[in-house]
Parts: sequence; C-alpha cells; structure tokens
Amino acid sequence: MTENLTLDYNLLKDLTQAYGPSGNEKQVAALIKEYAENFVDSVETDTLGNLILRKNGSGKGSNKKKIMIAAHMDEVGLIVTYIDRNGYLYFSPVGGIKVAELPGRRVMFGCGLKGVIARERKVNEQGKPIGKCFIDIGVLGEEEARNKVQEGDMAILTGEFVETDSHIMAKALDDRLGCFIALQACKNYQGDHDLYFTFTVQEEVGARGAKTAAYSIEPDLALIIDTTISYDTPREEYSTAANKGVAIKAMDRTIIVSPRIKQWMTNTADQHSIPYQCEVISTGGTDSGPVHLSKGGIPTGGLAVPVRYLHTASEVAVKADIEAAYALLSELLKNPLDI
Amino acid sequence: MNLYKNSHQLAQELITQLSPAWGVSGYEHSLKPILKDIFIKFPVEITDDFRGNFYIRKDGSQNKQTVMLAAHQDEIGLMVKYIDGLGLVHFSNVGGIDQRTLLNQEVIIHARQNIRGIISLLAQEKATPSKRSFLPEELVIDTGYSLEKATQLIKPGDIVSIVRQPITLLNQRIAGKAMDDRAGIAVMAVCLNELTRIEHKHRVVAVATVQEEVGLRGAVTGTDRLQPEIAVAIDVTHAQTPDSKAQVNHDLGKGPVLALGPNIHPKIFEGLQAAAQENRLPYQIEPAAGPTGTDARVIQLTGEGIPTGLVSIPLRYMHTSVETISLSDVVDSGKLLAYYIASLPEDLEELSCF
Repeated sequence: MTENLTLDYNLLKDLTQAYGPSGNEKQVAALIKEYAENFVDSVETDTLGNLILRKNGSGKGSNKKKIMIAAHMDEVGLIVTYIDRNGYLYFSPVGGIKVAELPGRRVMFGCGLKGVIARERKVNEQGKPIGKCFIDIGVLGEEEARNKVQEGDMAILTGEFVETDSHIMAKALDDRLGCFIALQACKNYQGDHDLYFTFTVQEEVGARGAKTAAYSIEPDLALIIDTTISYDTPREEYSTAANKGVAIKAMDRTIIVSPRIKQWMTNTADQHSIPYQCEVISTGGTDSGPVHLSKGGIPTGGLAVPVRYLHTASEVAVKADIEAAYALLSELLKNPLDI
Repeated sequence: MNLYKNSHQLAQELITQLSPAWGVSGYEHSLKPILKDIFIKFPVEITDDFRGNFYIRKDGSQNKQTVMLAAHQDEIGLMVKYIDGLGLVHFSNVGGIDQRTLLNQEVIIHARQNIRGIISLLAQEKATPSKRSFLPEELVIDTGYSLEKATQLIKPGDIVSIVRQPITLLNQRIAGKAMDDRAGIAVMAVCLNELTRIEHKHRVVAVATVQEEVGLRGAVTGTDRLQPEIAVAIDVTHAQTPDSKAQVNHDLGKGPVLALGPNIHPKIFEGLQAAAQENRLPYQIEPAAGPTGTDARVIQLTGEGIPTGLVSIPLRYMHTSVETISLSDVVDSGKLLAYYIASLPEDLEELSCF
C-alpha cells in the first residue's frame, strides 16, 4: 500500500458503541458531527435524518466532480410491541436480526436503559423451544415498566468493543465501520472535487435514507461503503472472506455495478497494491441499490469490509481489510472515473 | 423512404442477428454496436446513457409530445462467484434463469479474454437412488483449465453468457436464446419501419432498455430521463405448450397479446385493440391482475405517472436457451404499434385522464 496508515480506532470504538437503530440515528449523527465539524465546509441534516458533510474541492471548471460517499449510521435493533402485566417487553426485529439467536443477549434503549432477552419456556414435542422472546428490564410490574419505556421504543444489542493486534470485535460494525472509513477519508482529503460525505439512515430496513439523499445531492458519481458477509468460518463455501482485502462490489440483489466502474476500482487497487476481492452475492443489498437508480441513473460503485457474524452483537472484522478499504477509498477520490 | 419493403424479412434478419449476441443484464455494452448498425439505417436519431439504455428517436409531423416504446435488450446469464480447489467455476444467477435447463449447456466466461466452458454437475454428497434432481449450488462451469490457470484467468465478478445459435422451425417459428426480449427490439424496428410510410404526429422514442431481468432497472432511469407523455412496453409472455393444459390461453402465431389490468391504462388498451380491429390484425388478450413483470410496471409509476400499455409476444420455454416465438407475431406487433401511434390524438393529454 502507498502510505503507512494510522487509523484512529478510538473513533471506531465510540461509533460502534453509540445507539442508533433504524429511524433513531440521532446519537450517531451527533457523534459524527462533533468529530467532523472542524474539518468540513458545511454540515446539513435532511428531512429523514441523513447527515451530509460537505468538503469543497479546489478544482475549477468542468473537471470538478460532485461525488457522494455514503455509509449508513443505523444498526439492526428491536422495537417494543407489547408490555405485559409483569413488565416484560415483547418486541419485533428492526432489520435482519435472527430472533431465535437472541436469548441471553443484552440490550440497551436510547435513554441508556439496559435489559436482557429471554424466552418463554414452552417447548414442542421434540423438546425444541417454541416460546416467544421478550426483554426483561428489571422492573416490578407493568406500571414501573411504562414509566421507562413505551410501545414503539427501540433497543439495540450491546456488544463491547474489543481490539486485538489484528482484529476488531464489536456490535454495529455494520456500518459504523463504513462511517469510520468515510470520516477518516473526509478528514484527510485534499483535492479538486466537491465531496458529499453522506451518513445515511434506515439502510437496514430497505436503504431508505440513501434514496432521498441521492435525489437531493444528484452527484456525478457515488461510492457506497458498507460491510459484507465473510465466508471464512468453518465448513463454509469460500467466496468473500476476511483478511483477503477490501471487497469491490460486482453484484448483489439490488445492483449490478457497471463494468466500467468495477474496472476503475480494481485498476486503482492494482495500481496502488491494495489487496482486494470482488463481491458477488445473490442476497442482500446496500445503499448502492436505490442510489444508482436515482435521478435518471447515478454511476455508483460499492466497497465493503468483510465482517463475520453480521447482524449480531459480536461482529468481527480484520484491521488489514479496514485499512485496505480506507486506502482504496482515498485513491478513488483522488482520481475519480471520467464518466 | 422505406428501407425494408418486407417487414417479415426485417424481423427475421434482426432476430437472427440479435438472439445469439451476448448482453447479460448490466453487461449490455457489446450489443451497442449491433443496435447501432441496425438502427442507423432508419431515419432516426440515436443516443445512449451511462448504463447503456439505447434511445432511437423518430420525429413526427408535429413533434410536440413523446410516445415511448420500451423493449429490453438484456438477457439472463450467470456471474462467477468463486473458483474451487479443482479449478471448477461456481456462479450466481443473473436474472431468473430456469435452473433445470442449465446442466450441460455451453457457456462463455467473459474474463479478460473469452473462455469457453460447459456446465457440469458436482459429485453429489448425499446422492440417493431416488434423487433425480440437483441443487443450484451443485452446478459448476468446467473450462478444462487447471486450478492454477483458471484462477489466473478467471476472477469473481466475471460475467457468463449462454451460447446458442437460433434455428428456424416450421410455421415461421424461431427457437433460440434471448428471444426475451430481442424479439421486442425487432418489434420496435418493424414499428419504426412501418412509420416511415405512415404519417404520425408525435415523436416516437424506442428505448432498448437494460437490466430488465434483474428488476426493471433500465426502465426506471430511462423513463425518468425521457419523461414521455405515454408509453408502451413490449415484452414476451408465456404461450401454450403441450403441458400447459388450460392454464395459459395464448398461442404462438395468433397475434400480439394485449395486456389489461391495473398496470395498463384502459385508454391505451382500447386504442391498441381498436387499431388491431381496424387493420384486421389478429390479437389476444391477457388480463394481469397485479403489476406486470415487465418494464410497464415501473414506467407507469415514473414521475407524476405515465399512461402505459403492454404488448407481448407469445413465447414458449421462457428463460431457457430454446425460447420459441412465431415471426408473424413479431411482425403483427410492430404493425399494430405503428397503426396505434398513427391513430393517436393531437394532444396526448386526453389520455392522462381516466
């Protein structure tokens, strides 16, 4: 790689630990704003809650491009749907969370209130649990529970930030990792183009924030930074995997990246000896889906960090991949594709 | 100026040319020179956009408003996912390919160079005597290359197309790959050819859209750019086969299929039907209870809403490499659209009201 990178992982720690289920991203936005205020040219929050940081380029004339860089602030979570007379909270998932895997996990509400997830003891004839999951927040009855939460409140899974020599483990790496990489690139960018660092909302429930943000920004080019499933765990078929470099998107369920954009990205990675792999998945999508269909079509590329155990409280990523993603994004912004 | 006196010949030439050409969703760029070659001979203006939507504009006598025609140029295909320890290439589907027909197909992997391969079946771990079928992930591409050579030449993300030359059957029928929807492009050509000798008031923009098979994506952006007053999508629909019993009502050779239902503006349906009746063209009717699985679905909902119609060509063996159509349906569809466009009122706003 071209430069010796020192990324400030303390920032990643703060980002991952912030509360921000889909539709409730304010705390994450506040954190990003506070961090970036001093090195951007403008800060704007739109109707849906997308946070847009602008960095003006020094270029002049027609070569100056408007580039949108997007990472989503929201994380998967739970929404309270019913409070029973003993003060137990029933819930539905917000985004792709597997409810059956939740018992034993701890949660946190926006106000900081903590709870644990448990399950009704019912089993079927084979002895498999069939009970519903609920949240126990440690109250003595419905009334006390209602003083602290109400139906519609959202909780997130808590998961401590752990940094090893080579790995990061934490909740919400999807997609605070993307926010982190975008922020580092934003801080260090000095170039010709106008950059719109867009921290989007509601990606986990259908890439909703990115749709309106792309419509209003109407960029010449968009780059989406997200996470992707790492298939390097035991007894798994091999495709995208942690420690194999940044993933450059070729296809998912919501986009087929233009071959020209894919080539620009892989060529840039080759030129700067940045390790990369191509991402081909038949499920899932990211903000790149709605963005590339906005305003008569916006040229859009996607990069991702492979993450193990996505959408759990313990997501795991490899630092080398994070650094590769950062390096690639920085190089792409220096020499964007001429459309 | 009428380039092709014989629409039949035109349709046959175009389909024979377009069907074997490759252009999997998202990778339609290699079709561009072919489309250019075809339509440059017409009195039209040609443009395209970043993702490859191809616009063919023919001016009308008044030219104040725009009629959009849309037929998609992309075809279903595969994309390389990874290469296993034996050098066999695993893949993902691009579009809703009929899995049953992939086995033993010949394919081309469009890597840095084109690499031929065939689709084979992995040894099945849990094969039992009763097992007659296979799982999609058990299909792989065998290129004949060693692991080392395969990993050097082929990369995840490389697109793969199916190889098949079209053949002519009896009764003006043609079988081949990608009739869905290259036959629709032939329909647009027949229509534009007919319009060189029929007066029409409005500007006609025929769009060869991209990425229909993966979610009607080219039509989303193309319609947004064009903002037409009305639109007609041209696609294919299931025709009767020997095993379809009474569930499918359309037959090959019995004329264009006109859709109606909530996705279709009633006045456009009526106009198409009237044009068929007045010009003694055969037609069939297809009620669509919900949104159709065609470009018409997204065109209708673009901007403030666009009155949209749908003309379909009956087709057998959908999403296989032996899709079968009748040339007469292609010709009749093209003529029908031309007559319909010529019959449109001076002001298309009339069609915006229900």
